[in-house]
Amino acid sequence: MRKLLSIIGLSALLCSACSKEDDQIINLETEGKATITFDAAFGSQDFAINKDFTSGTKTLNFSKFRYWVSNVALVNSKGEEYKVPSSYFLLEETGALAIQDGAFTYPATKRESIELKNIPAGDYKSIKFSIGVDSKFNDNLSLQTGELSQLNGMTNISWMWMTSYIFTSVAGKVTESGLAKNLLVETGVNANYKSIALDLPAIVHISSAKDSKIMLKADVEKSLDGIDVVTNPIVGASKPTVMSAVAVNYSTKVFSVTSVN
Amino acid sequence: MCNKYAFSRISAILLLVLIISACKKATVLEPLSPVLHAIQLEVPVGFPVLVDNPDNPLTVEGIELGRKLFYDVRLSRSNKISCASCHHQNLAFTDGTALNHVGETGTTLSRHAPALFNLAWATNGLFWDGGSKNLESQAFGPLTSADEMHQNLSELETELKQESDYARQFKLVFNEEVRSANVVKALAQFQRTLISAGSRYDRYKRNESDGSLTELELSGMALVNSKCRSCHSTELFTDNSYHNNGIDARFSDEKEGIYEGRFRVSFDPADMGKFKTPSLRNLLLTAPYMHDGRFKTIDEVLDHYAFGIKNSPNTDPLLFQNLGSVGIPMTALERKAIVAFLNTLTDNDFTSNKKISNPFN
Repeated sequence: MRKLLSIIGLSALLCSACSKEDDQIINLETEGKATITFDAAFGSQDFAINKDFTSGTKTLNFSKFRYWVSNVALVNSKGEEYKVPSSYFLLEETGALAIQDGAFTYPATKRESIELKNIPAGDYKSIKFSIGVDSKFNDNLSLQTGELSQLNGMTNISWMWMTSYIFTSVAGKVTESGLAKNLLVETGVNANYKSIALDLPAIVHISSAKDSKIMLKADVEKSLDGIDVVTNPIVGASKPTVMSAVAVNYSTKVFSVTSVN
Repeated sequence: MCNKYAFSRISAILLLVLIISACKKATVLEPLSPVLHAIQLEVPVGFPVLVDNPDNPLTVEGIELGRKLFYDVRLSRSNKISCASCHHQNLAFTDGTALNHVGETGTTLSRHAPALFNLAWATNGLFWDGGSKNLESQAFGPLTSADEMHQNLSELETELKQESDYARQFKLVFNEEVRSANVVKALAQFQRTLISAGSRYDRYKRNESDGSLTELELSGMALVNSKCRSCHSTELFTDNSYHNNGIDARFSDEKEGIYEGRFRVSFDPADMGKFKTPSLRNLLLTAPYMHDGRFKTIDEVLDHYAFGIKNSPNTDPLLFQNLGSVGIPMTALERKAIVAFLNTLTDNDFTSNKKISNPFN
């Protein structure tokens, strides 16, 4: 009987040995959270849909502003990069959208922030991200990660004939000298996938101690910089040169860091 | 007593084993789902090598699921149209119509339903202009297009989830619930198994007993080899590339560039009016011909190549076979021989193969 008990005791020991216990934490600071806000603006004004904005001699009124932010990375003061896994986010401010020629409706949505979790504790000096979807995922719509989906209208019928996500999409109306035109400026296809690196105005310490915040400005007016939207109100795959100029605007002018906390 | 002692010792050991194995199960992550059977396609003799597709590996179960989906009318919005509505097995998965209007809106389509076979090798773009980069992405086109199946993808997921067989199959094959991304993956798996290499020509090439070609067919083969094989190359009888074969001299930019061929997706002026080379295999089953089905018979096609080619800046130089002028000259006898040879490329084993036929019948 004693033997039996000792065997049971041994087995209990064995069992606890193979059950997983949390590692002892020596460092009090653990991985932290950061919220990145892409605050949409039109020049110096806050962006809103269904509101008139003036740009030179033109008046613009938008119905949507949508774009993919992907492959987000944070660079620490030692120059080490932390790549956020599966980071594919749809940022947007849009009214309700008829998807697939009205097969279903995508609800009105405003989404300007992404929350990054489990970032290694440390001092971070810059942020990297891309606008659009990299070729691995852009070339095969069945490979989905992050928020990539066919259900949100960032691939549409005419684009599905050519495999690509819509990387950025701005729609609305442009009026000049009393003449109004529908506006739809979109980018897509691998050549227009652009990466951006922005230095933060101050080092951001990320850890479990607090939720860090990085505020960016996303300037819709800058995305149309140098594009005569009265002459070219519809920009997309059929206007590759203008489309590429818009994509360059996104990578060089649209985004800036306004504050960190 | 001794016996009793022995018994309790055995039971103690058993208990120990049980406890250890129980706690082992909790820490070692082993898939508990039934095993998937991975398979590799058999490459027919003389066919080009196949490139692996690690993003969507073939399994027996995935192919079976894809076959079911291919023939299932629930893939369309009205639950009346399946992939097979425009791709009939007995016609090498084409539909015998120039431009059909069986889609949800009843609108006549702008392009002819292409034949479906040997698609595992079609890695240079799909659709007549090659805009789709793989079979998986391609399937979203007809599935969602208003003039074809016009399916709401989230509704499709809901509909398929309601059927326990589908729910089980998706879980088994993709270890996930029903998702539209997995619907197109399964469809692609099935389509990659549509291999056609069983024609009389193939049996002749493999020196099989019933694989003889007549004198006329052999001379037709030689003619095809010398006049047509630059584009209809390899044992696939297509280069899977894009050519302007002179069926038009001008290419309207109407309807989102549907008439502009590959230019529509590449925006390279050199691609104006280029369309994908279809295979010559099963040719006599796949009338009418060209991307818009404008030629009703193989005779009309040969007429075109003999004296109908329109010369534009993009007309393919390979078509200048008439002492430097455009056209492929053929005598009446040569045409007869060419048609006789093309006839030997019909694969009746393929069109009657039960493994790829409608599983609902």
